[in-house]
Amino acid sequence: MSAATPTRAPGFRARFGAVNTEAFRLHNAGVVYALFVLVITLVISTAVTGRPPYLSAINTANVLDQTTQVGILAVFMTIVLISGNFDLSIGATGALAAGVTLMTLNHAPVWVAVLAGLGIGTLVGLVNGLLVQIVGINAFIVTLGALTAVRGVLLILTNGESIVTSKTGLNSLVDGPAPLNLRWASVAVGIVVVAVGLYMITRTRDLQRPFDLGAAGAVLAGLALVIVGFAAFPTHWPLTKQVWVLFAVTLVSWLVLSYTAVGRRLYAVGGNTEAARLSGIDIARYKTVPFVLNGFAAAVVGILYAGRFEAINPNALSGIELTVLAAAILGGTSLFGGSGSVVKTVVGALILFVLANGFNILNLGANYQPLIQGVVIVGAAAIYVVAGRRASSQKIRSVETHDVPSSPDEIERPSVGAPTR
Amino acid sequence: MLELTSITKRFPNGTLALKGVDLTVEPRTVHGIVGANGAGKSTLFKIVAGALDPTTGEIRWKGEPVDWSSPAAPLAAGISTIYQHIPLVPTLSVLENVFLNDYRGLFARGRLLKRYREVIDRVQYDLDPDLRVSELSIGQRQMVAIMHALAHGAELVIMDEPTASLAQAERELVFDTVRRLRDRDDVTFIYCSHFLDEVLSLTDTITVLRDGLVVADEPTAQLTEDRLVDAMVGKNLASLESLRQHEGREDALPLLEVQGLDSPGRISDVSFTVHGGEIVGLAGLLGSGRSEILHAIFGSDRAARGRVVLQGRELGRSARAAVRSGIALVPEERMRQGLVPDWEIWRNTSLPDLTALLSAHVVPSRAKEVERAERAIRDLRIVARSVDAPVSSLSGGNAQKVVFAKWLYGDPAIFLLDEPTVGVDVETKVEILELIRRFAREGKGAIVVSSEFEEILAVAHRVLVISRGRIVAERRAIETSEEELLALASGLGAKEDVA
Repeated sequence: MSAATPTRAPGFRARFGAVNTEAFRLHNAGVVYALFVLVITLVISTAVTGRPPYLSAINTANVLDQTTQVGILAVFMTIVLISGNFDLSIGATGALAAGVTLMTLNHAPVWVAVLAGLGIGTLVGLVNGLLVQIVGINAFIVTLGALTAVRGVLLILTNGESIVTSKTGLNSLVDGPAPLNLRWASVAVGIVVVAVGLYMITRTRDLQRPFDLGAAGAVLAGLALVIVGFAAFPTHWPLTKQVWVLFAVTLVSWLVLSYTAVGRRLYAVGGNTEAARLSGIDIARYKTVPFVLNGFAAAVVGILYAGRFEAINPNALSGIELTVLAAAILGGTSLFGGSGSVVKTVVGALILFVLANGFNILNLGANYQPLIQGVVIVGAAAIYVVAGRRASSQKIRSVETHDVPSSPDEIERPSVGAPTR
Repeated sequence: MLELTSITKRFPNGTLALKGVDLTVEPRTVHGIVGANGAGKSTLFKIVAGALDPTTGEIRWKGEPVDWSSPAAPLAAGISTIYQHIPLVPTLSVLENVFLNDYRGLFARGRLLKRYREVIDRVQYDLDPDLRVSELSIGQRQMVAIMHALAHGAELVIMDEPTASLAQAERELVFDTVRRLRDRDDVTFIYCSHFLDEVLSLTDTITVLRDGLVVADEPTAQLTEDRLVDAMVGKNLASLESLRQHEGREDALPLLEVQGLDSPGRISDVSFTVHGGEIVGLAGLLGSGRSEILHAIFGSDRAARGRVVLQGRELGRSARAAVRSGIALVPEERMRQGLVPDWEIWRNTSLPDLTALLSAHVVPSRAKEVERAERAIRDLRIVARSVDAPVSSLSGGNAQKVVFAKWLYGDPAIFLLDEPTVGVDVETKVEILELIRRFAREGKGAIVVSSEFEEILAVAHRVLVISRGRIVAERRAIETSEEELLALASGLGAKEDVA
């Protein structure tokens, strides 16, 4: 009952922090600030140079659409990373699923083609998972092999040539406009957020728990959303169907990871495999299933790709896994498992595409783009490491000086039934 | 040769590990150092090896005061330390390991081989220089470590628990080498072992440490087993002694039956029964297989074979099955095996029992979880800022209580407790022992592993002595003594009572 109280604070750990300033610290919310700064910069630059406004309905919908494929893959990559593993094979798997879908489509109805594509992707994921978990080969090696081998299967199937379809069923199923009335949608969402925030504030007071800054933030953000949305947002936001897939995938994964026992156990398995095992958690399942999901997600992206272009060349989606990893890293996902947030990963993916989009709009040489992206990724990682280290040393310090109340929390409830040291 | 004067060491967390240790090591001797767990042996060795700085005190090497700030300095001066887990590079060859860190410029195989022959001559033990270390037995690795020390010109070799996992023949090999090097090659040894029979047969002088103090320092010839054991044990925790309980529980029904448990290289043929309301102590030294027995019962040792029957039902061989049937394990390394260190107290305490804390079957109820954690903080008197404190910020004793709390409210039938009080202060220790007794009063069973035998005696009804992977003796707690247990576990005179 109480657990399903979403705040707008994106951090997984942060949502549960004590005095919830934690959620706004650099090492938790850094990626959100970064996106914010980036967007503001672009808004100002476009305004100053007299170009069309950056935050126009068309441009924002456009950026979201460009983010979709990497975004979906990054959400599931985050799940794999949380479980303490690694998957490089998604680009090839997606391409294979796309190829299989299109080849089937030429001889069968759309739903058969989609199922075939999803099936082949899931199968690749399952093989990856079993090789890693049951046979015990390092995930990096397994999926590096899969990356090559799966691409090879696609080359064999297609004889190295592009596959084209003339049937339009797939395209109309997975692509096309699905606009949103952003004005009323934002008002509705804002009201929900305000309600949830208020509910959380009363609850934390009932439970005599420390005042939750995240909940207060949610109320304010919700109010802002209602006002700004009503005043300024367009009634026609030209989203595509594919963007809605990203939204749905992100929302569901976030809810499952944050608010279900399954999610909790996944974080436990990634955070300390041995402790999770000795707590009676089925490690093999929690290490294998993310691979299966990842194969499935790759197939979904492959099918979206095939549906959009109604064609696939055997080298499609090559190298996308690195962009996906970059998005996860920008989102603060640990490569060692146990921490990460799909929402922040999607924000990370957005940063990459806002950056690219900004370069285009401002007409800055595209040659500079990879350099900037590389610097951004390493810079983000550096900020997480440094800010995280500072935060944990502060934590330790506040524990060492234990008998001095260091937080409101401690003043409220001094030393729970035990002698202070 | 080596003189330590009033060495103290205080760790940043306030623990006083050494309280003024004086130690004189004479040249061309084998100097034994013994002491129970936590007596300060490891800290002492690290200080001599330059890995730790003493808080106060003076180290003199060959009469000169020295100030070693890094491990390289004592190495250059001629002191080499062979740690318990020997830091060899398993993927390199014997030759490369012996001369590790000694390639001046190119790896001149011819020259090194010549030097290798000289080292072989000194230890009188031939080993193919091209074998990979990963292919060697543990005893052979010990020899490589000794050769490495000699090749770097060591005049004093510190051996920390070198024989913890050696077979008999390999032990003789290592001992003969040590004696030969002492007699013919003027090498001095500091030798630390849990096996008192070994220390007595090998060394010339023995220093006994207890709680960071030297309590005995005498020529080996003047010492007997009894005196050694007395010195090691002391009578410092009288408070525990008074808690010792005597009521037997032999009429109760069998709760857990372990039959013919076997795990290659770890334990063999372990069979025993725990009754309802009974606490069984497993007394054994480091590396004796005591923790391995717990993991074999719990199903977390995949290689283990044998029958484990809980309340009449045979258990499947997995940790998951064990948890589901009501076995709780408090593991030895609490941060590595028991807790998710970055997580808050409340998320750790609910982990094994999450299904009981769900609302709507899938969503863990934060309110119930927090309530449980708060209850644990009250019940176990955990000192923490709040249930939101990450467990990595807790002191050892409080973190251990969190591990207990993980299992406390899921109503398990039997607790497997591996060193439940290691690294915990005396007050908390008493609390934890009282908690274990409470389990027994509630009709639950408990198996307690500890290297502190007075603790086992204080809490257990029955004691099984473990040595080299087997149960070598069984005693009722009221009929035995710490001295006897230590003697049995150390391999002294244990032949008459094989359970």
